Amino acid sequence: MRPVVISALHVRRVFRDRTNIFFVILLPFLMVFMMGLMYGESRPVLGLVAPQGSEFGDRLVEALEEEERIDVLRVEDDRMRDLVESGDAHAGLVVPDDYDARVSEGGRVELEFVTRSGDASAVDMGIWVRSVVAQESSLLSTAQVTGTVRDEDFGERLERAEETEVAGVRVDSVTTGESAFPEGISSHSLAAPPLLLLYTFITALTTCLGIVQSRRSGVLRRMYATPTSAGAIVFGEALGRFLIALVQALLILVGSALLFGVDWGDPLATTLVTTVFCMVSAGAALLLGSLARTEGGALAAAVGISLGAGALGGTMVPLESFEGTMAELAYATPHAWGYDAFSTLVRDQGSVGDVATNLVVLLGFAVALMGLGVWRFRSAVTG
Amino acid sequence: MPVLEVRGVSKRYGKNLVVDDVSFIIEEGETYGLLGPNGAGKSTTIGMIIGILQRDAGTIRIDGAEHSVTNSRTKALIGFAPQEIAVYKDLSARDNLRFFARLYGLSGARARAKADEVLEMVGLSDHAGEAVSTFSGGMARRVNIGLSLLNDPKLLILDEPTVGVDPQSRNSILESVQALTRGGLSVLYTTHYMEEAERLCDRVGIIESGRLRAEGTQRELVAQVGEDDTVLVTLGGPADKALDRLRALDRVSEVSADGTRIRLLTEDARGVLPSVLRTLTEEDMDIRSVEVQEPDLEAVFLRLTGKGLRE
Repeated sequence: MRPVVISALHVRRVFRDRTNIFFVILLPFLMVFMMGLMYGESRPVLGLVAPQGSEFGDRLVEALEEEERIDVLRVEDDRMRDLVESGDAHAGLVVPDDYDARVSEGGRVELEFVTRSGDASAVDMGIWVRSVVAQESSLLSTAQVTGTVRDEDFGERLERAEETEVAGVRVDSVTTGESAFPEGISSHSLAAPPLLLLYTFITALTTCLGIVQSRRSGVLRRMYATPTSAGAIVFGEALGRFLIALVQALLILVGSALLFGVDWGDPLATTLVTTVFCMVSAGAALLLGSLARTEGGALAAAVGISLGAGALGGTMVPLESFEGTMAELAYATPHAWGYDAFSTLVRDQGSVGDVATNLVVLLGFAVALMGLGVWRFRSAVTG
Repeated sequence: MPVLEVRGVSKRYGKNLVVDDVSFIIEEGETYGLLGPNGAGKSTTIGMIIGILQRDAGTIRIDGAEHSVTNSRTKALIGFAPQEIAVYKDLSARDNLRFFARLYGLSGARARAKADEVLEMVGLSDHAGEAVSTFSGGMARRVNIGLSLLNDPKLLILDEPTVGVDPQSRNSILESVQALTRGGLSVLYTTHYMEEAERLCDRVGIIESGRLRAEGTQRELVAQVGEDDTVLVTLGGPADKALDRLRALDRVSEVSADGTRIRLLTEDARGVLPSVLRTLTEEDMDIRSVEVQEPDLEAVFLRLTGKGLRE
């Protein structure tokens, strides 16, 4: 009973702290929302300036608008430049007013491609615009060449060039293996699992501060002077940290499902992965709280370790983007194993069997950290 | 039967013998002061008595029962207020009391009732719901002491309970302790303030370098160390000419002069004082002031440990 009393006190202390209402409850959802936007369901925007009623200009505009992954916004020149400067458009393209005349005459036409300095999306946009323009340009060139042998209107020649099948070189793209980010999965479903790992760990680990305070203020000594055994105190403190981690994880699990429609997959497997990861987090908190000498040192270490392990374990930048040594090092953290497990469950709708290895490794982390934490904390209690 | 019986208790950290064969008892309703300079072994002795430190030798009995770190029955008989404010400062006084009441095994309803009772006892009912972090030093001390009363202890251990409090709060704490002992509670009290020990303690034990050097009532301790009374006489002129006659007086062990001041050691200052004054008058000396200093705990402590209590 006494361990329950001790653990309940710590859960209450954490979740009724007004500062924690923001950091533990609001911030994770804000981050899931923000990261969801970053993973991106919105498409990059191209601001297009083109003459109205232009026969050949409209052909180019149609070709640009065919691409589904890009939004083409037809605007005036000044507006286009404002949009690019403000970042509301990732690039701009200017088709000159005399486009039709110069194309018909076989003259050189220059399209102005406008980007904002440092906008990474503009690079992709530039590659795509150049490919579309190159296709259109090849047809125009063909039409111009045929003009030297046939006396036809340029428009007719262009039509003929378009209808003519010319054998050439083309690249066929094929994919192999499964996509890391399957089609159809929501961006919030990609964002929520790593954030669950990050926030669960950091929330649990920062509770080490309470352990250091209890040790230094004499509260722990006082607890042990009551008819409460060292085992009950250690169990109560560990259970408290586990419950704090679990509440944090459940908040993100349930909240992200309700607010953003995240499908966490197999409930049993998700529960197991979450529970074991919470044990890992609680063990780390107990160990750090027993080792740190001062509150300041404990807090600095908790934040540093949480962010460091979180970054290395793929909770800030997708694990799939890691290469070489970093990709291997990532698996020194429990976060990477949790990330993999949730990826299997959320993206591939895996089951307990599919994440069995992850569960075993995470359990290993939990046993090691909790074992060390209990040993060190018990020493702190019994002097 | 003594409420606390400490017999031949020793504690060693590595090669360092921190507590060496310490023995003393505390009877029901008695207040026992354990005095010693910093590092003398007081805290370790208290740690063993409250059951958070294992002893290497000796026995401790609480109300006749063998006491140890694992004996929850004897631990339940002890109330302990450490010298630190050992409470959750982000919690209210009431929540702290309720939490520790639960650790003493009280059920939810009883814990709530007991917490309210103790709040009343320490005069904090009006501030029960406020976080301890907002309290003054004296109020926080009262919460600290209140926590030690939750289990209706037979033995209350107060480890420097008045450190860092204002004189008014200190007086209030001392009065509370006196009231508790009148109700039959036994108290083990440590302090760095000699006047507190003199005011509260029926008996005192002086510990130094891990050993209990002396114990007894204040009078017994003074007798044990053989400390003399001191008579200080300040004159209007040089003191030299009366010294030989003063040395010849009965029960006077030592006489010295420093300018116009005479310092005289005697086993009975009040008894010898008329003879001293008569002698000085006969020698036509101008007596400006007379001061009698009887040996107190401070003097005993200084003699036994070679240090002041606050060193």
